[in-house]
Amino acid sequence: MRALIIDDSAVMRKVVERALQQSGIDLTEVVQASNGEEALEALRADAASPEKIRLIVSDINMPVMDGLQFLEARRDQNLATGVPVVMITTEGSEPFVLRAIAAGAKGYICKPFTPEQVKARVIPLLEAV
Amino acid sequence: MTPEIDYLDWIGRLDSAVLEVFEMMLARSCAPTEKTDSVSRPISARILFSGAIDGEFVLFASRPVAQVTAEFLLGSVSDPDDPMVEDAMGELCNMIAGGWKSKLKTEQAACAISPPTISIPENIETSLGAESGFHRFYSFEGNVFGVQMLL
Repeated sequence: MRALIIDDSAVMRKVVERALQQSGIDLTEVVQASNGEEALEALRADAASPEKIRLIVSDINMPVMDGLQFLEARRDQNLATGVPVVMITTEGSEPFVLRAIAAGAKGYICKPFTPEQVKARVIPLLEAV
Repeated sequence: MTPEIDYLDWIGRLDSAVLEVFEMMLARSCAPTEKTDSVSRPISARILFSGAIDGEFVLFASRPVAQVTAEFLLGSVSDPDDPMVEDAMGELCNMIAGGWKSKLKTEQAACAISPPTISIPENIETSLGAESGFHRFYSFEGNVFGVQMLL
């Protein structure tokens, strides 16, 4: 399965990838983006790919274009809107979560997290698609 | 304007946040410790608090300890001068500061935190005697690092 991981930290992109693998998700490719703009570009390129991205995991606080702006731009540009998005952030406060859900996120995970928590949030979303 | 501070309460909540991050993200036990040795080749990650609390939250460690920490976080071996080591320190600082903030009382948690910035100070000890704030050392598997809150 192809997944898109969006985080300005290369360390967190790797940590998230490892957590997804530990969740039992068979990742064939991980597309990486360090901000929302790069992620939108990756989704445009994905339209021509034979194997589509099936999961998006995104940080909220990023330079250039943050995770909430990415969600809103993705919705406005009608890019991969059927692909579940899970937000990962240290900002677990209600306003951020409500804005993310309103903009199309299907779930969120607060840092720090365990692989078990990632599994509990992500697997049901993949099964529901 | 920082409200009246109960340092013991803050330190207890900091201990809880640090232990939680290490257990969940590094699968390692971590405990407060006394530290008297100097921190050689220090690397520090700094986050600014603004709002109900105004201050600097600093995570610091020697370069070798930062490297070990990055390896546990990433699950792979790294080079001491790998930029991922600094990135890992920033992310750990972010998670600990965010976790600590979320454990504060509601009126104290009403503050924003900045993205982490990394610095390579020549000597971290000089700032540990700051009059306002506190610092705390922690150890995991014999590796010692520190957290400092400057107000």
